[in-house]
Amino acid sequence: MAVIEARQLSKSFPGRGRKAAPVEAVRDVTFSIDAGERIAYIGPNGAGKSTSIKMLTGILHPSAGAATVLGYVPWTERRHLAQRIGTLFGQRSQLWFQLTPRQAYRLLGDIYGLTRAEAASRVDELGLLLEATDLFDRQVKGLSLGQRMRCELAASLLHSPEVLFLDEPTIGLDLVAKQRFREMIVRLNEEKGTTVFLTSHDVADIEHVARRVIVINHGHVIYDDRVSTMRRSILSHKLLEVRFDESPGVLDIAAVEILKHSGLGYKLIVDTTVRSIKDVLDELLDRFVVGDISVEDPPLEDVIGNIYESPER
Amino acid sequence: MRITPYRSAFVTGARTASAEPIEFALRPLFLVVILMVYESLWGVVIEGAGGIVASYDYRAIIWYVVAAQAAVIGIIPRQIEEIGDDIGGGTIAVEMLRPVSVVLFRIAAGLGDALVRSGSAFVIGAAFVTVTVGPPPSATAVLLALPAMALAVIANMVSQYAFGGAAFWIEDAKGAWFLYQKLIFIVGGMLIPLEFFPGAFETLAHYLPFWTMAYVPGRLMAGHFEPWLIVIQLAWIAVLFPLATLIFRSGERRMQVVGG
Repeated sequence: MAVIEARQLSKSFPGRGRKAAPVEAVRDVTFSIDAGERIAYIGPNGAGKSTSIKMLTGILHPSAGAATVLGYVPWTERRHLAQRIGTLFGQRSQLWFQLTPRQAYRLLGDIYGLTRAEAASRVDELGLLLEATDLFDRQVKGLSLGQRMRCELAASLLHSPEVLFLDEPTIGLDLVAKQRFREMIVRLNEEKGTTVFLTSHDVADIEHVARRVIVINHGHVIYDDRVSTMRRSILSHKLLEVRFDESPGVLDIAAVEILKHSGLGYKLIVDTTVRSIKDVLDELLDRFVVGDISVEDPPLEDVIGNIYESPER
Repeated sequence: MRITPYRSAFVTGARTASAEPIEFALRPLFLVVILMVYESLWGVVIEGAGGIVASYDYRAIIWYVVAAQAAVIGIIPRQIEEIGDDIGGGTIAVEMLRPVSVVLFRIAAGLGDALVRSGSAFVIGAAFVTVTVGPPPSATAVLLALPAMALAVIANMVSQYAFGGAAFWIEDAKGAWFLYQKLIFIVGGMLIPLEFFPGAFETLAHYLPFWTMAYVPGRLMAGHFEPWLIVIQLAWIAVLFPLATLIFRSGERRMQVVGG
């Protein structure tokens, strides 16, 4: 059953200056999302991701088109909808810096109509789920970003929302905190069936959290498919940064191209549809004297660039 | 409408007012400094005028200053500017994602904070002038002045949200704050009682809401037993409160937050 439906949803903002043309942030966006799905809604800066989320949560009124979330029209039934969705904006806090998270949850419990006993029990449950109980009695302003984001997530989940909107939730987190955060979102989805709608610039967020990806650029949906399909068809390359201790001479490795090199440092691209990254690493370590090596995904902009270059789009 | 969220916001605001003890103590101390200056200034003026000016003697005018100043300084400085920043910067947008009225919730939390601050400023200011100039001129008028101070804070708070809501339409609320501050200072009676102004100016001030935010508690604290002043405060609150709500409701509909 669809919990989020957008039909030709569009939003334009007035241009700056009297004679400036309106800016079309979102144009004719159409998609349907079923209960329990994990969606990555991605695109470069200015693509229209946040504007879409703001319309779907009722903050912004669209210029044209229609949408429903859990059967509600978000911008006319915002407060009813707010009772059943959770939101987390990576660059915004919904906690109060002068309070501890537990005090904030008590206030949020009152906002969402929970009894004190219900709120306390829910906070205990979330503390265990998010491994954050020890953070709940510290002042918010004393928490690290990673700790705060776990507390923010608990705030978003306090009223047991059916749909969770996450807008750049891992921005600014270190690698360990990011990975932990992703695992929590997946666990939440699998244990509670919460629908997850995620925007992110981080390819790893998409790979580890989402099952389906919707790509938006210049306000249009330009790709909508399963992540596994996208991985096969588009995320078909990995980047390797290698520093050799001795000159490798001619670097002839199957499925590997040299992007650039300087001295003993090489930037390589591996076609993972031809060979696995493990095979390539094994060969590199067997044949050459390697001082340092790192593996990276191509930047999201490159992925989207590939989607654009793909002839069927 | 559920009352619990707004009651909780009020209580939380009141509890967190003293979360930063140094900042919390600064405003009452600032009031004491103002009172020291005013005591010197009004001492010369009242003495020069033969002991009384426009029905205020020295003790009455100092108690006027205590109440008028304490009522205003409870509200955080530059609140209108902050409201504007929160509208333009997207903080209000996030608050719109809660199942409560944004403006009512904010006003409730702000009132909790401001009433504690105004109350503490008044207690310290009153203690100071009791020592330096003596007790308030009329105990019965004080019984009116205390609720009038609370109503002044409420009127000021809702009025600031009505002004600050302009930021939904204009990009920068700094101008609105500057204008508001001057209006409270002058036509609100925070600087001097309205009776000290020329007749036409005094009449004009009575047509505006600002005199309910400083002058009314000051006038009552100065010993004038005039209950109808409280009725006027309530009337202005009855106008300003729906106005702030309407401005925010209308502003939220035309919210134009771009980006994340």
